[in-house]
Amino acid sequence: MTQTSVDEHKSAWEAQLLAFEDSQYLGTVRRLLRGARRNRLVISGTILGLIVLAAAVLGPAILGSDYESQQLRNIHQPPFSIADLPDQTQHFYLFGTDHLGRDVAQRLFVGIRVSLLVALGVTAMSMILGILLGLVGGFTGGWRDRTIRGVTDFVWGFPLILVAVLFAGGLGEGLFPVVLAVGLVNLAAIARVVRGEVLVLKEREFIEAARAGGFSSGRIMFRHVLPNILAPTFVLASYYVAVAIIAEAALSFIGLGAQPPLPSLGVMVAEGRNYLQVNHWESTIPGITVVLMVLSVSLIGDGLRDVFDPRLRHEAKGMES
Amino acid sequence: MRRIVSRTGYMILILVLSSIAVFYAIRLSGGDATAAALPASTTAEQREAFRERLGLTAPIYVQYFEYAGRILSGDLGNSLTNNADIGDMLIRHGKNSLILGAAAFVLVFAIGIPLGIWASVRRNRAADQGIMTFSVVGMAIPNFWLALLAIWLFASTFHLLPSAGCCELRHLILPAVVLAFEGIALTVRMTRSAMLENLGQDWVRTTRAAGLGEIRVIGKHAFRNALIPIISLAGLRIGQIVGYALVVETIFGWPGLGQVLVNAVLRRDYPVAQFFSLVLVALVVIGNWLADLGYVAANPRLRRA
Repeated sequence: MTQTSVDEHKSAWEAQLLAFEDSQYLGTVRRLLRGARRNRLVISGTILGLIVLAAAVLGPAILGSDYESQQLRNIHQPPFSIADLPDQTQHFYLFGTDHLGRDVAQRLFVGIRVSLLVALGVTAMSMILGILLGLVGGFTGGWRDRTIRGVTDFVWGFPLILVAVLFAGGLGEGLFPVVLAVGLVNLAAIARVVRGEVLVLKEREFIEAARAGGFSSGRIMFRHVLPNILAPTFVLASYYVAVAIIAEAALSFIGLGAQPPLPSLGVMVAEGRNYLQVNHWESTIPGITVVLMVLSVSLIGDGLRDVFDPRLRHEAKGMES
Repeated sequence: MRRIVSRTGYMILILVLSSIAVFYAIRLSGGDATAAALPASTTAEQREAFRERLGLTAPIYVQYFEYAGRILSGDLGNSLTNNADIGDMLIRHGKNSLILGAAAFVLVFAIGIPLGIWASVRRNRAADQGIMTFSVVGMAIPNFWLALLAIWLFASTFHLLPSAGCCELRHLILPAVVLAFEGIALTVRMTRSAMLENLGQDWVRTTRAAGLGEIRVIGKHAFRNALIPIISLAGLRIGQIVGYALVVETIFGWPGLGQVLVNAVLRRDYPVAQFFSLVLVALVVIGNWLADLGYVAANPRLRRA
């Protein structure tokens, strides 16, 4: 047999394998999305998320993103108020002003951006690294697996807030220790779950078949194992995005996260807490925003889990009858 | 038995490793140690002498062993900001944290389990949907905001409870409920799904067919089995409570370990920050170890392995 025909056989073999995987396993992202489109939880979570996202993206373009300017004549304005600026023009305050006369709406938009950047950015990075570590550890085994598992087991058990406070103790307060803590803890959690999934998948027949086809370990890992573990990882990731949003806001609230004048949602709630009786909106608007963001991500996560976990789906079916 | 010994050995290893990690994490900043203790006018030589006296000039691994030795011999050192004895601080604030943590821990199960059972029994009825909505929202509300809402509503508006302070029962109510809130939401979910799983089993149908009353079927048989995963993982709640206590104690001005640690970090009082980090980390590790043991105890198959 010539080399070309061996290659042809191999690619035909692989195409068959891929088709089989697609028909058999819920683990692929495509299947997850197919189910998610009809899931009520996912839809409502997505709508909620899009509203917040639109505020972060479009808000600054429409109303501006000047989070620092103080108008000391216009302090504690309620939402939907119009007030004079020093240059005799009028300014419309969608969400009112705070104790320094800063525009709450403009601060809120920037605050959402900070929150999203920390939560989504860090979770994305820790997902890539976590998947890689879990995949390599679980698939290759041996000393690599033992090392990775030792480290992830160690990190995983700690509450995020405590880890962030530790880093803040060493690095000084700011967003960086928060990012580091969220990234590290989420990475460990994702690597653990991925490893577990890989160990199960490794024993399945189609991986055996791929081995029999003579493909390299690397190719089997990335073309046959990886696509089938992505879905459970995404389900998990939505939960960790929620955890990250809450952690960033909470740490900023107690003064260890984002530092003023940068308007993190937690900072805004903290600054408004002394004026609840005067103008509670300064605190309640960023507070509600955090809740909506977390709610959006957890609804999507819950919905995806229903789609993904066949046992839960079974229960859902029973509920209809 | 072998598993219990090996898990305990593992726990001790983790304790040692995390004490090293904490030591290094807090020392990352290094030079800042003198900023909190000495006035700004201090000369560079005086600062150097101060570092020398605290043993901060030796290589960090030497410092670690010295530190570990001192802690094991009971010499915990003093705060840089007010010179208070750290051992006294541990006793005073530890007691407060223990009261708050224990109250939250009890609330998590005392409220979470009955609500979860109620939801499972009234499955898909209004009560179930109400409880589950509460659970979803309860997990989405960050506790610092819940704390703020609680203060606003119960302290500022209706003047029912004090907004901050210590250490009477009326001071305890708000922080304990806020601290327990997410745990309650989680326990409700776990209890409900464990109960539903058990109520769907054949043997439950058999006990019903045998003529046992509904209360006995649910209370005695299904409930007992459903309780196993919840109780066995109770140790994990300890870690959660320790983490959130950092935030909740700070908001309510409850003088516990979490508040001390946060303040020490903000004031760069590193001997205090270091020691109280170690204490909280140790609490988390022990909680996880208890959860581990509980898990083994609840799964007889693991006991032999």
